[in-house]
Amino acid sequence: MSNTVIRTKDLQKSFIVKKQAVKAVDGVDLEVKAGEIFGFLGPNGAGKTTTLRMLATLLPVDGGEATVAGYDVRKKPNEVRKHVGYVSQLGGADDEATGLEDLLLQGRLYGMSSNQAKQRASELIKALQLEEFADRKIRTYSGGQKRRLNVASGIMHKPDVLFLDEPTTGLDPQNRANLWEQVRKLRDAGTTIFLTTHYLEEADALSDRLAIMDNGKIVAEGTPRELKAKIAGDAVVIKPQRAGHAIDAISKYLAEQPFVKEARIEGDAIRLYVENGSQALPKIITLLETKKVLVDAVSLSQPSLDDVFLMQTGRSLRDTGAEGVK
Amino acid sequence: MKTLSDIRLLFMRLFMQYLRNPMFIFVNITTPIMYLVLFMPLLKKLSGPGFNSGHVVQIFLPGIIALLFAMAGLFSVYPTIFELKGGLIERFRVTPASRFALLIGPILMWNAWTLISSSVIVAISVLFGFHIHILGLLVFAVLLVMLLTIFAAWVTAIAIFMKGEITSISGIVSGLNLPILLLAGVMLPLSLAPSWMRDLAHINPLYYVVEAGRALSVGDTSSYAVRLAFAVITPLTIYVLWWAIRVYQKAVA
Repeated sequence: MSNTVIRTKDLQKSFIVKKQAVKAVDGVDLEVKAGEIFGFLGPNGAGKTTTLRMLATLLPVDGGEATVAGYDVRKKPNEVRKHVGYVSQLGGADDEATGLEDLLLQGRLYGMSSNQAKQRASELIKALQLEEFADRKIRTYSGGQKRRLNVASGIMHKPDVLFLDEPTTGLDPQNRANLWEQVRKLRDAGTTIFLTTHYLEEADALSDRLAIMDNGKIVAEGTPRELKAKIAGDAVVIKPQRAGHAIDAISKYLAEQPFVKEARIEGDAIRLYVENGSQALPKIITLLETKKVLVDAVSLSQPSLDDVFLMQTGRSLRDTGAEGVK
Repeated sequence: MKTLSDIRLLFMRLFMQYLRNPMFIFVNITTPIMYLVLFMPLLKKLSGPGFNSGHVVQIFLPGIIALLFAMAGLFSVYPTIFELKGGLIERFRVTPASRFALLIGPILMWNAWTLISSSVIVAISVLFGFHIHILGLLVFAVLLVMLLTIFAAWVTAIAIFMKGEITSISGIVSGLNLPILLLAGVMLPLSLAPSWMRDLAHINPLYYVVEAGRALSVGDTSSYAVRLAFAVITPLTIYVLWWAIRVYQKAVA
């Protein structure tokens, strides 16, 4: 058996929106290896959830191939279902049931005996710290408690692959950190985790490897370190004083400098990619002074995944907050 | 085997939840009793075509019970909408549970509750002079279960189709409520209606069940109305179930 758990080739999905076909997923190739946390980063509407739903057998595939846990998603959906767990953005807990009841039902639907389900549920209640409220109705749970229950439910049957769709959206920082820890523990126990997120920090901190998606296409793929290394160097952001129309000229002038790899205008600031930020900074200030350009603010940063996204798409991930087609 | 155990699990999940809900049980029993108490006295003095075969309660009760089943099926859409919106149905769809079980489990649950409340009503109606024909009532029960199944499976599929969009779905359900009620002769027999209304009633599944129920309540198991009802309702049940399962499998919601 190969250690590739998820493989897609030219995966396609279109939706009809206002009588026009919109390509939500447009030729996605992915390879996820056993035992890794694979992050799927992109703005809302990029097609992340749609891809995930196809892999989890919730959406029919329009074109291309997809294999999950060794089974073809199109031909053997029921085999795929036995080997994957899925936690949607909505959670999917049964509000009127208690946490324990909900876990037991989940186990039984996966074909466990009543005893097996009880045993597994008590393991998970302990592991995910649900003891205090496992016997209360789910509708009384807080957001973080509910999310932990959702995860427990998703791994009741010990799946090979766990899909997590935006697992920490809406969680406070403490609960987010707690969930990250649980996800890492699961990975260490051998579960492959495929998670979507639109949080840069989350993709960076949590994923072993990640793919960045935009407009239905994968625009970059690799480990967070590899991706950031492609930027090779640092990012310097300069805010000239009252630059107005002159900002184009300033940006062009800086881009011509040999130590500047790329310059980009962002509103009233200029973002430069340079080899070595701390050496470039004084040079830039001096150059601008000779051109009589006064500077309001300068900042220097290590490249982030946002820079990767910006490099690939020309937009910042932080700016693409608008809700797209789901 | 797996399908049967899945059906049982999904049936029990909802059944136990409603069993723990005293308000639900109270309303489930009192609403039909209100129909009996508040409507039947109005019929006492009526006479005319459709009213000459026996006691009023014998004609009126099957209509009320059939209406209960139709409405239970139609209104089962509301919990379904919440389950769609909360991701519960999606979560079930990712499990290897049988698709048929996912659909039929809750429908059987609604049938069970409606059978329970109908039995209570039948028992109370005996006090109003209702005469029980056991065989007739059993045959009637089969038709009623199919009737509820048709409405429930249909609205479930519609709800999935519309991605749980509550305003559109409740618009459809409440819009259908009245024509279904009036075009079945539940309150007053359609024999009082003009011929175009009687013709129109033939597109209403409830109409056949009410007509058959009236024959069955007096023990006439071999009447034309009963045979017609089975001839219409049985294939319709199968067709709607088949269609709803397809929607379940291919749902975008």
